[in-house]
Amino acid sequence: MSALTFTLKQPTDQRIDMSPLVCQKLQGMDVDAISAIELQNGKSRRRVDELFYITGMNTQEIIIAYSNNKLDFIGKELDGGSISVQGDAGAYLGMQMKSGTINVSGDTGLYAACEMKNGLLQIDGDAGDFLGGALPGNKQGMKGGTVLVKGNVGQRAGDHMRRGQILIEGNAGDYCGSRMLAGTIAVMGTTGRYLGYAMRRGTLLLWNQPQLSATFNDCGSHTLAFLPILFASFKSLNSRFSDNNAAFNRVQRYGGDMAETGRGEVLVRI
Amino acid sequence: MALLIKLAGGHIYDPTQNRQGEPGDLFIRDGLITSAPGTDAKFDQVYDLSGHIVMAGAVDIHTHIAGGNVNTARLLLPEQHRNHVARRLRTALDRATLPGSIDTDGEPVDHPFSNAKWSTTDTGYRYARMGYTTVVEPAMLPINALDVHLQMADIPILDTAALAILGNDDLLLRLMRAKASQSQINDYVAWTLHATRALGLKVINAGGANAFKSNARHFALDDIVPDYGVSSRQILQTLQTAVCQLGVPHPVHVHCNNLGIPGNVDTIVATMEAAQGLPMHLAHVQFYAYGNEGAKGFSSAAAQLLEAFNRHPNITMDVGQVLFGQTVTISGDVIAQYSRHADASPGKWVMWDAECEGSGGVVPYRYREASFVNTLQWAIGLELFLLAEAPERLFFTTDHPNGAPFTAYPELIRLLMDADYRQAYMARLNQEALAMTLLPNLKREFTLTEIATMTRSAAANLLGLHDRGHLAPGAIADIAVYDPQGCGVSIQMPDPFANRAKPDYRAMFADAALVFKNGRLMVRDGEVIARPAGHAQTIQPALDQRIERDIQNHFDRFYSLKLNNFKIEDVDISRDDHQRFQRVGLL
Repeated sequence: MSALTFTLKQPTDQRIDMSPLVCQKLQGMDVDAISAIELQNGKSRRRVDELFYITGMNTQEIIIAYSNNKLDFIGKELDGGSISVQGDAGAYLGMQMKSGTINVSGDTGLYAACEMKNGLLQIDGDAGDFLGGALPGNKQGMKGGTVLVKGNVGQRAGDHMRRGQILIEGNAGDYCGSRMLAGTIAVMGTTGRYLGYAMRRGTLLLWNQPQLSATFNDCGSHTLAFLPILFASFKSLNSRFSDNNAAFNRVQRYGGDMAETGRGEVLVRI
Repeated sequence: MALLIKLAGGHIYDPTQNRQGEPGDLFIRDGLITSAPGTDAKFDQVYDLSGHIVMAGAVDIHTHIAGGNVNTARLLLPEQHRNHVARRLRTALDRATLPGSIDTDGEPVDHPFSNAKWSTTDTGYRYARMGYTTVVEPAMLPINALDVHLQMADIPILDTAALAILGNDDLLLRLMRAKASQSQINDYVAWTLHATRALGLKVINAGGANAFKSNARHFALDDIVPDYGVSSRQILQTLQTAVCQLGVPHPVHVHCNNLGIPGNVDTIVATMEAAQGLPMHLAHVQFYAYGNEGAKGFSSAAAQLLEAFNRHPNITMDVGQVLFGQTVTISGDVIAQYSRHADASPGKWVMWDAECEGSGGVVPYRYREASFVNTLQWAIGLELFLLAEAPERLFFTTDHPNGAPFTAYPELIRLLMDADYRQAYMARLNQEALAMTLLPNLKREFTLTEIATMTRSAAANLLGLHDRGHLAPGAIADIAVYDPQGCGVSIQMPDPFANRAKPDYRAMFADAALVFKNGRLMVRDGEVIARPAGHAQTIQPALDQRIERDIQNHFDRFYSLKLNNFKIEDVDISRDDHQRFQRVGLL
């Protein structure tokens, strides 16, 4: 069975809420039923077949072609199956997803992997602000799963993050790991200002020396046996994180944020 | 051309004129109630109200509808708004949404800002649907006055007013430390009422917010504010005297010390004694009717409080009833709010300090039926209502949103008016707590006249708003008409009492059949059909303008704000000042 493919007919002026088009909601539906689903498009509601050409049958393998940054809530609450986005994605990509995989060939907007629970989300381009964060007012962001970004990420990556891992091959913006409760963020590139601002627990694993706030304490250099195990767990990823020469076990360790409980750590490769 | 309207044959409840439900006609001319115009009069509109209940528009004397704390609470709880929108979207998906149809909240889906939860529009609409036409924000910190007035100006339909807070501000305490004369303090109070366009004066845990900065975590009536050397009692009495001497109709509106602490009934009784026989209003007294007896050290002291209340005819009180469900507590009493920040549900809170004037806190809270403490609070509030001998001195509030949101008023009215319903309701509450109260044995039921007294005539009187709260000729035509059959749009819950002879007072008071504001029809069958702007009621006592020199000096030294930006003078609230602000007469 070929993948169920939604090809955007033409870019829309208004944003589209894609949350109805996830594998578990489409399971068992035929093309006519899927065509008749109404999507919120700005203030109006439009049928799926008004907006997209639909081909293929396999609802557990969805492709969104000619996607652009106005397509919000792709893969919201995804529970199994895969979604492949050809192009860019809008805000709230993979919000609260429970399992399955999402792949984006381009960039994503704000709040990708927002409050994600499990599964794998891979972004080949850049990600916007609040990657893996919590909705405003909520106290816990990403709670599990893996996010892999091959490009750069915006500000506040991992804001309020509770569990899971965010792997960034490029650079991270300001406030990376802010208000983090737990979990792991690895950044191969550079990081911005206010790294780990108000983080309580959790690990920031860095390839390059960051600019640290006064509320982080230098805890000396360490050889950590868990790092090779962590890197081994990346082997299945299609990423520079799985390269043999990416792994290291020798780090400088900083503890903080001492303005909070101070049980978080920043590990920098040496 | 004069517009003449006749409301024919309704059962009129107006305690001011001693009308207790006899059918009669009301006449409206040019927004005012007028006497019968004679047999040859030609009416522009006639409403047949036979079988309906007619009252003046209701007046809420204590409801936090605008200001810094309210906005902070909105910002703290964006999920309320998100859930509201999600609920609406679900409803829209469930069935085709037609203009004028109703969503699950009983809210018309197409009114302006209907997607915004807890907006100013929402506040105006929901109050109007219940038949309220005047509401008072009781806690306007002077430095937030502009924010309060801008928000109130944005509330449609309702007339509003605000009480300015003093008692923790640096300037007053400095004046008192320097042994300033009472007349100097009167001038400062009068100047503040002018500058903030207030209707009266509020005192919140006098001196407490200032002592909090010196790490005080308890502050009683005779405690001394560190560095200033004045006691809470002295501050309270000085401000009370000022309000009396200035001739402000609404007595000083007091939030006592030790809010919410077991055994605090002693504090509120001591505050009554401290009132020197002069008028004083004590706010949300349910939170002060607490004893410290019983196995859990928490008990009802409602009877003790009411005994003292009966001995002090100079005192008025409002209840601050607790009802179950999610709400958010907001208060300028930073000591009380900080002491319960660990109970925040959901677990997030804000404490803040405003420059030179006071502080406060926002703590979300859920009152739970199974909880011993919450059930006891609920029962104590109802005990106060049902045991009070003077309903004209005891007012109907939930201290919105602290005890419950104002949208729960119809539920509270039903609890007061229907003993069987109350009895049935108690079955699902914490029985250990109920056993400690008199409530299970109280059979009293409020009459419609008593409801009209508490929520209309006495309330307007207490505020000095003599043009409303009654239906005598000359009053502004703020009128609420209720259908005992229930006309409303609220979703009716399955209810074992639905088939009884006694009306479902909750449904009746939730959605008025008709509501007039200044003679204009605002609500029909529970739906808002017009949204004109209301007026703010203000008081302008006389003062010696020389006080402004001292205030100017204080501002220049200590405030980041310029005095001219602090005063509400040329505020652009889309209408001229004389259209927005109405002056209320002095005593």
